[in-house]
Amino acid sequence: MEDTSKHTEIWAVGGGKGGTGKSFITSSMGTCLALKGQKTLLLDADLGGANLHNFFGLITPKLSLTDFFEKRAMLQDLIVHTGIANLELITGSTGSLDSESINYAQKQKLFRHIRSLEADKILIDLGGGTHINTLDTFLLADKMIVVTAPEITAIENMYQFVKSVYYRKLKSIFKSYDLNTVVQDIWKNRTAHNIRNLKDLIGYLKQGSDRIHDIFNLEMSGFVVHIILNEVRSPKDILIGENLKRACVNFLGLQVVYSGYASYDEAVHKSINNKEAFMLFNRLSPVIKEIRQLTENIETETCFSAPEDILDGRIP
Amino acid sequence: MEEYHDYLELLELSQDSTPADICRRYRYLKNLYSGDSIEIRALNNDFSEEIRADFLLRLDDAFKKLNELSEKSRDGATRPRTDQDDELRLWLTQIDCFTGSILRSIRERMKVELKTVFAATRIQTHFLEDIEGEVFESFPAEVYLRSYLIEYARFLSLDTQRVLNDYLPRYRGRAAK
Ligand SMILES: Nc1ncnc2c1ncn2[C@@H]1O[C@H](COP(=O)(O)OP(=O)(O)OP(=O)(O)O)[C@@H](O)[C@H]1O
Ligand SMILES: [Mg+2]
Repeated sequence: MEDTSKHTEIWAVGGGKGGTGKSFITSSMGTCLALKGQKTLLLDADLGGANLHNFFGLITPKLSLTDFFEKRAMLQDLIVHTGIANLELITGSTGSLDSESINYAQKQKLFRHIRSLEADKILIDLGGGTHINTLDTFLLADKMIVVTAPEITAIENMYQFVKSVYYRKLKSIFKSYDLNTVVQDIWKNRTAHNIRNLKDLIGYLKQGSDRIHDIFNLEMSGFVVHIILNEVRSPKDILIGENLKRACVNFLGLQVVYSGYASYDEAVHKSINNKEAFMLFNRLSPVIKEIRQLTENIETETCFSAPEDILDGRIP
Repeated sequence: MEEYHDYLELLELSQDSTPADICRRYRYLKNLYSGDSIEIRALNNDFSEEIRADFLLRLDDAFKKLNELSEKSRDGATRPRTDQDDELRLWLTQIDCFTGSILRSIRERMKVELKTVFAATRIQTHFLEDIEGEVFESFPAEVYLRSYLIEYARFLSLDTQRVLNDYLPRYRGRAAK
């Protein structure tokens, strides 16, 4: 049985498109939590191109998840200190491993071991893409977070990512109830059922037999994705997060909250190049306040609420 | 008040919303979903023209019904009928968005038929209908729409500039596509 005295909360950060700021946001949220006194562990699960350590000016750690997968190293032994109190890091594989070849057993082992780590919060940086391993790690989290940017390609990938995650979860839930192929079968015959998209599929399942309806409500109602909008350049961009939420709810049929945004600031990449942790310096940057706010919103399950004048279109 | 609740829910509003809130939210959602912003375009097939049209229809309907319901609840109150003109004037001051269906609501509350508007403005009723329904394809050039809007707004005793400022951006947004 699980140890109920320990409340390790796992946050996973994904989002599809590369370079939208997943690693920056993950490292900054982690710093925020650690500075507030929570024992926080960052797990860089970007198995292709781990780079979270750069956000703290660290050199590439000697041991990485490759050693866990290939050499049976203990997850605990991979932990390095970030130089910030309460904040530690486990780095992903850097190059050596074909990240897509991690098999089911290895994945299960990783998930088991993550759960047994000592920490108040574990933040997982997933890297880009919608590979099955990425989706499964995302689904492991207590809080699912996507980072996107006010740019059509980033938004398209974000929609695709949340839809893929949701569909993956649906399939695995029904499988666990021995209804292996229900979802796939419905989807395959979607024209016959008048199903055009994921939203229609969800509607169809909700109206299905009592059993299906109950399973659906029990297992899927907790599925909530938190959206963070990064590299915001104007007040109007802030609203995009709000609109994304509406679009996901109304047209994808998914539960989504807009947790907050971070502005674009040159100081971010200066910090990285100077090997400084962004959150410790740059006191004048608005981004510091914005990250604190969005971290708190995610912790407390609060929605960011856009100011009325922006909603009203009074700000250009 | 079951349906009142459903309509508010479609507009993503809470029970204690004022008519001004409803109006503002309706305008915001209408602009969002009739427009062409990146967050909408990125939906691709999940927001086909068919889905868009269907949603906008439901939105317009919800807004219309909410207006009717709030009117009804006011009629049922103890106010004497003679206050009606004052009430209409007050209601008009609260309106700060002028979509086609709002123009229609205003006209209907004034109990004016389209042919009466035609008699006064010489704007063909089918054009009036298309203004109210925001059937923008009927107006290949902005100048015509603009002059009709000015006439129609004047007829309804509205501030023409505000009507134009609110209405035309949606036309331009759709025409740009
Ligand atoms: N708010 C911001 N303001 C300015 N620059 C930013 C901001 N956020 C991120 N960047 C810049 O964008 C770059 C990419 O960010 P980051 O590495 O966090 O993206 P990522 O989503 O993790 O990418 P990948 O998918 O490749 O892992 C960073 O090097 C940083 O310089
Ligand atoms: Mg990254």
